[in-house]
Parts: sequence; structure tokens; C-alpha cells
Amino acid sequence: MAYKVKLDMFEGPFDLLVYLIENSEMNIYDIQVALITKQYLEYIEKIKYLDVTVATEFMLLAAILIEIKSKMLLPRLKPEGDFGFEEDPRAELVQRILEYKKFKQAAELLDRQEEYNQSIFEKLKEDLTQYTREPDEYLNLDIKQFAVAFNLFLNKKKKVEEIKKNYSRLERQKQSIEDRIKQIFKFIKENTQKKITFEQLLGENDGKYEKILTFMSVLEMIRLRTVNAKQTTAFGDIIIQMNEEKMRGQR
Amino acid sequence: MTSKKTIKSAFESMMFVWGEPLDVKVAAEIFNMNWKDAYDYFIELKEEYEQEGRGLQIREINKSFQFVTSFSNVEYIERLCTPIKEKRLTQQALEVLAIIAYKQPVTKGEIESIRGIKCDRVIEGLTKKDLIIEAGRSNAVGRPILYGTTDSFLGHFGFSNIKELPDIEDIAGAMNLDDPEELIETGQLEIEF
Repeated sequence: MAYKVKLDMFEGPFDLLVYLIENSEMNIYDIQVALITKQYLEYIEKIKYLDVTVATEFMLLAAILIEIKSKMLLPRLKPEGDFGFEEDPRAELVQRILEYKKFKQAAELLDRQEEYNQSIFEKLKEDLTQYTREPDEYLNLDIKQFAVAFNLFLNKKKKVEEIKKNYSRLERQKQSIEDRIKQIFKFIKENTQKKITFEQLLGENDGKYEKILTFMSVLEMIRLRTVNAKQTTAFGDIIIQMNEEKMRGQR
Repeated sequence: MTSKKTIKSAFESMMFVWGEPLDVKVAAEIFNMNWKDAYDYFIELKEEYEQEGRGLQIREINKSFQFVTSFSNVEYIERLCTPIKEKRLTQQALEVLAIIAYKQPVTKGEIESIRGIKCDRVIEGLTKKDLIIEAGRSNAVGRPILYGTTDSFLGHFGFSNIKELPDIEDIAGAMNLDDPEELIETGQLEIEF
């Protein structure tokens, strides 16, 4: 973490600059730019090896300092039509330093306030549910957030419904044909007459899937010659009978 | 009409139960009374506690009131239960916070131009600590986020409201400046909600 390496000492370019100016006891309105620039560059030279990213943040101000320094060397000309007002090349910099210093002071003030406040304790809100008759759960949202959340919910629901229109839900296969065959086999064997109708194989609550499954199973059993099936009239009862030969064979 | 004495006494009990800053509006609603009157009662209570030098004091945070311990008793509380001291904020965090507190709502760009250094990480940290909050967006190019301080900020530094921050020009005065006039930034931001 770059920030930790660096500036245990200086919090930024202005912090450094303010330090240099104060350290050499200069008047802020009459900065000796050459001297400060030299000191400033020396410092960057040092931190450059520690962390390039951080050093670059100091570069911009270094460039500004050098620019001002070179401007100071030039003879100052009164801009024409001006009422004798000379623009000091340092003016803008001074303003920025002052602006920074102002907030540095404010930060120090906050620091003192923070220290003071650490000696004051407050009580955390306790769990009051044991005193309340209805321990409601409060939704800690303002109305805007709530509206956004509610709209999201509605939109989501709408989308889900649209998708549902186009697709039907696939249920997991609950029972395989093989399982069903075993069940039917057992059912017929337990029946005293060894003869049942297809209707008997269906439970009351059987859905489409179960009905088809049962029918498929019966077809399979016919194919394997485990049972014989007869249907005397169209749409009439299907009578299923155990194939006696097969049964004997199995025994 | 409930007497003033009863109401003030009730407010005391309510603050005790509530723990956290109790909103004056909530308290006023309970007695179906004027907000301003309730506020005055709270202030009276606060002053009474101060005058009597009680071990509990009442602190105001943005029109809410709460019981806190008296500053002078910190030593005894520490002997009793060695409370964990919160980590203090770093200098850079305080600088950024100071800029936000005084210039709010303010963009990251403005903060960075004052400090001459990037401060994404610091802003992130302060947001996590709930000391600052995004307060809309500036109309400037790119619509940058504006930052402002929170009620937690007030509580953390013991200010009743943001106006209680010492005048920044007073601080500047302490630096013996010849012309503090120049310090005042004129650039006002338009805020859109």
C-alpha cells in the first residue's frame, strides 16, 4: 500500500510545502521560491526511490514551483492599461497554500474534538423487544429506497410471468417404468383372481404423468408377455391378467 | 394538558430507554405537542444537567438528544471497564473530512485540488465509517459525486449541528494573516437533487 510507505511524514505536496516554508520561517507572502524549490526537489529525490506513484503526485507542484522560479527571474512588466498592479507570479500559489493551511488547521481542530469526544461514552441502543408487545421488524429504508425495491420486485415478477407463459415446468421423474412394473406385478399377484382392470391400477390422485406411466408399464409388461390384456369394447375397461405360463416359469 | 414538569420527566425516561439520539419530532408526537416546544424542553433539560454537573450529560445531535457520560468521569469509567478506544482518524482522513465538513457539498476533484493529492482511498474509508455520505451530484462536467457529512460525523466530533463548526475564518485568523479576504472561495456549486 503506497500511502503507508510514504507519508508518515507528509500528507501531500502542500503539506510538504507548508512545512518547508514554516521551517525556514519565511513570510508566506514573500516566499523565496528558489530556496523552497531546491528543498522541495531534494525531498522528491529522496522519496522517488521509495515509491514512484507517490513521488509523481509531488511532481506537479514541483513543476509549478520551477515555473514560478523562472518567472521570478524575468523582469516584471506592468501590464498595459493596468493601474500599476503587478501580478506576482507567486500569488496563485500563495492562495492555494493558504487554502490548504486553512483546512489543515480545521483538521487539527477536528483532531482535538475527536480526542475530547473519546472520553465521552454513549449507551448503545439496547434490545427493547422484551418490552414491546409486538416485536415488529422494522425496515430501515427511506421511502425512495423502498419504492425502488418494490418496483424491482414488480418487474421481476412480470418477467417471470412472461417466461412462464412460454415454458411449462418440467417435473422431475418421480418413478421409473421399471419400478412401476414391479409394483403392478405385485399388485396382480396379491389379487386373488389374478385378474384386474386397468382402472384398479390407478390411484385417486394420480396425475397425467402417473397415468401415462402406468399405461406405458402395462404395455411393457404385455411386450414381455408377463401379462395378457383384453379390451372388449372401444374405450372400455382393459382387463389385465397374469400370464400363467410366465408365472410358472418364474417360480 | 400535561404539565411541563411531567413532559420533561418523560423525556428523560425516554432518552434513557432509547440510548441512541432521540429525535425531538418523535418525542413531540408522543405528547402531541409543538415540535419547537419539545425542543425547548430538551434544551432546558440539557442545561439543567450541565448546571448541576451531573455524571450524565445530554448531547444534541442534529435535533436529537441522547444521554452521554460526563467528560470528567472518563478516568473512573476506564478503571471500571477499560473500554476499547476507537482508532483515531489519520491526519489525511481528518484533512479530507475537514474540507468536506466546511465546503459541503463538495466533489472529490475539489478536495484533491486543495490537498494536491489523490484521496479516493480516504473517501472510501470515511464513507465506510459512515462519517461522510454521497449527497447528490454536481452539475459540472461528468456530474461528479458530491460529498457531505453525516449525523455520525456530528456525534463523533461532538457537534450539535453542522453550524456549530467553528468559523473557518476564525481558525485562519489564528495564523496571523494579513488579508484573509482572499481566502474566501467564491465558486459556488449548483446542486441538483
